[in-house]
Amino acid sequence: MSSENFKVTTTADETRIQVRGMLDVNTAPTLAEAVDELMAKRPARVLVDLTALDIIDSSGVAVLVKLYKGIRAQGGQVQITGARDQPLAIFKLLRMDKVFAL
Amino acid sequence: MSPPAVRLSMPGSLRYRAVAVRVVAEACRLVSRPDAEGDASSPAYDLTHPFDAAVVSAFAEIFNNIAIHAYGRRGDGGIDIAIWVTDDSIEVELRDHGSPFDLSSVPVPALDELHEGGMGIHIARSLLDEVEYEPGPPNLWRLRKRLEAAPARASAGG
Repeated sequence: MSSENFKVTTTADETRIQVRGMLDVNTAPTLAEAVDELMAKRPARVLVDLTALDIIDSSGVAVLVKLYKGIRAQGGQVQITGARDQPLAIFKLLRMDKVFAL
Repeated sequence: MSPPAVRLSMPGSLRYRAVAVRVVAEACRLVSRPDAEGDASSPAYDLTHPFDAAVVSAFAEIFNNIAIHAYGRRGDGGIDIAIWVTDDSIEVELRDHGSPFDLSSVPVPALDELHEGGMGIHIARSLLDEVEYEPGPPNLWRLRKRLEAAPARASAGG
């Protein structure tokens, strides 16, 4: 599944979600739908690549938290990488940089 | 108070949010990088400066709050935005005619837990020097941020 703001690719080893541009109140609902679909498949390992993410807001953070908590609750692993600039500042403000190991 | 440098009016709808955010981002550049050559045609946001990132993040959350809570996602009212810039600060006012909001009722989230909501006002308050709200009509949000002086460079001994 993909959209203008994210792309999901699945291999034998992991599911990779690349998020780009803005992850905000307007774009987060579409990613949330993809997260629901992904969780239904109970993936063992999910990698979220935020290298191309320019801006995130609280709605975008909420979707990533939903993903992180949901996959881990199923016994899966989640790794979030590549956050920079504004998104990294938001994760640090919300003390999520430690949880996400950014 | 002098007239604002920028005035902007738009529907209080999330559809117009990116327009407002783009304008505020460019206004921030006037403060944080006054000598830089602007490139407003770039499709990508440049929020590498912490001042820009802070102001844009806070402004976007307040815009969300108005569109979602004051106007209930109906988009049936307007948002008037005024921006003042100085050499070292920015002030942004947002006025709306939606339902008033009780800023004092918003709790500070417990950050030792991962939350899936309720972080917007905390983000705005944390990143700005001042967040004021006056219930209306019109409701008025006033956001202020001062540019922090760059840390002095350590001298090379002597």
